[in-house]
Amino acid sequence: MITMKNINKGYMLGEEKLPILKNIDFHVERGEYVAILGPSGSGKTTLMNIIGCMDVMDSGEYYLDGMAIHDTSEDRLTDVRNNKIGFIFQNYQLIPTYNVMQNIIMPLLMRGMNHKEAEEQCSETIRLLGLDHRIGHRPSELSGGQKQRVSIARALVGKPAILLADEPTGALDQSSGKDVLKLFQELNEMGNTIVMITHDLNVAQSAKRIVRIVDGQLFE
Amino acid sequence: MRLSEILRLVYLNLIQNKFKVILTSIGIVVGSATIMMVIAIGTGGREEVAEQFKNLNAGAIDITYENAASFSGMFVAGDSGGGSSSVTAAFNEMPSGGGGYGGGRGMGGDFGGFSFFGSGQSGADDRINQEDVTLTTDDMEDLQVFVPGVSDVTISYSANASVEGGTMEAASYYTIAGVQSNYAEMSNLELAIGDFLTDEENESKEKVCVLGMTAAKAIFGSAYDAYDSVLYIDDRPYVVTGVLSEMGTVASGISPDTAIFIPYETGIKYITGDSISPTITVIAEDVNLVDQVIANVETVLADSYPNTEFTVSDAGSKMEAASASNETLTLLLIAMAIIVFIVGGIGIMNVLFVSVKEHTNEIGILKAIGCSRRDILLEFLLEASCISLIGAVIGVLLALGITPLVELFSVRVSLSVIGAVLSLLFGVITGSVFGFYPAYKASRLIPVVALNQE
Repeated sequence: MITMKNINKGYMLGEEKLPILKNIDFHVERGEYVAILGPSGSGKTTLMNIIGCMDVMDSGEYYLDGMAIHDTSEDRLTDVRNNKIGFIFQNYQLIPTYNVMQNIIMPLLMRGMNHKEAEEQCSETIRLLGLDHRIGHRPSELSGGQKQRVSIARALVGKPAILLADEPTGALDQSSGKDVLKLFQELNEMGNTIVMITHDLNVAQSAKRIVRIVDGQLFE
Repeated sequence: MRLSEILRLVYLNLIQNKFKVILTSIGIVVGSATIMMVIAIGTGGREEVAEQFKNLNAGAIDITYENAASFSGMFVAGDSGGGSSSVTAAFNEMPSGGGGYGGGRGMGGDFGGFSFFGSGQSGADDRINQEDVTLTTDDMEDLQVFVPGVSDVTISYSANASVEGGTMEAASYYTIAGVQSNYAEMSNLELAIGDFLTDEENESKEKVCVLGMTAAKAIFGSAYDAYDSVLYIDDRPYVVTGVLSEMGTVASGISPDTAIFIPYETGIKYITGDSISPTITVIAEDVNLVDQVIANVETVLADSYPNTEFTVSDAGSKMEAASASNETLTLLLIAMAIIVFIVGGIGIMNVLFVSVKEHTNEIGILKAIGCSRRDILLEFLLEASCISLIGAVIGVLLALGITPLVELFSVRVSLSVIGAVLSLLFGVITGSVFGFYPAYKASRLIPVVALNQE
């Protein structure tokens, strides 16, 4: 599903280049549930952005579902993000002026579906996540746990090849966090491939496999 | 993404930011209203010129004399074009002048000044010293006889006089036009009731009159009541022998609708005496001969009145001058509208830049979940276009609303569908052009950078 070979990434700091990721080799099989565990500044978010095709590597090779991402144009990467990746963000990243339904169906609209088709397709996901009674609400009217469920629903609705979760419980209370992790396990059991980054070992332990990242280097 | 879905998102954005939309579109509102009013006032001006001159004979040439006291201003008018030429027959008698008639027209009309012969001061002195001249029926007959290519000639004058009678409770001043029998035909005047003045009435100096429609209504209430009634001009009774149809035009400096026409000789005998400044109107047989006829008229007059300058103007040139003046006004208004549009467009661009800045995080979210550059560009561009369209529609409505106010200032406004469509088009194009750059910038944002923007 994911194959990364010798990935390097750095950012310019004045005249000097600060290395963030160093010779990363990473492999994820279809149906896996992997947690990337690391402290702040370790490079885990940068790695996540590269896996999610939102940032580009300086060198190395990256294959997602058989596609050479390192050799793909920005326009094509847009399609990859829409079709193959489902993002779940720590701070939910919902569009505040849209209601729950409008937020959830956005990835489907981007595929060219009309409003009605998209709403029909996402009805099952909405039921699965228990958001039936909230579809007309704006994000500001939801609790943190509900917002994260909307974010998960939006990630799931397009049936992506992989779910990428960036600190999914970081902004939630303990109870809501547990619910989300339980949901991830259920989704994984349903066949979804999940890669989650976290700095919390307890959260990481909900995954089937843990990979540690320290100073831009990956350790199994 | 489907266009209909992008439009739906644009609609959502607009209804959630109504106040911003209104404020942003103010520039376009003003611009569109201005464009529509410019077109309407321009068209109205053209229509007014056309209407004013619709009954004017294109081959008509008016010859007038103005005394030395008002000469300076008249000279400028003649010199600056517009069809009037100032003729100085005295050139033939100047020390350096040649013989013959040709000099008058050539110097006054073409070279536009006396300095050709010497100092301007010398020319001015000549003008001041010229005799006070009154054109007469003899001059009219001379022009009829000696100027080739003339189909008809008439002479007329106008004066103000006190009028009483009819339903009026007190005396009022009206324009009294002393005219000959052929004046009506030459000026394309039509009668609503009765007949125009006759040669016999003129020769016997009868106290009869023909009223313009507006004057008839004001004095008697209607044309029917006016006909065959008696009114008093300078306390003398005149029988109304006819009433003109509503003309709306000006002929030989007289507005027929508000004038009272009396026989030429009657007016001189009972109203004006000899203190008149008549206008001789000559009709050229062919419009193409107008310049030639003017030259010959000037030659004949120069022979009769050495050292005298007349103002000669033809109808075609009057129309050109009026149209040119109207076009200048239109150009000025268009320039103003363009400036307003540019200012409005910059306003839209500024607001959209702020909007892009405000929505950077949302753009990041959209990009993260797979929204293409094209879709983001389209969304912002359509938002700009919709704001402009809303502004343009309000502008058109505003133009419709202020039209009665503008008309209060006696400005003719001719609203048209084309004007409305053009102002809508200009509004939308301006918004779209100025909205493109912010939309383009939004579409080029890097997802991860946009997403991390607070």
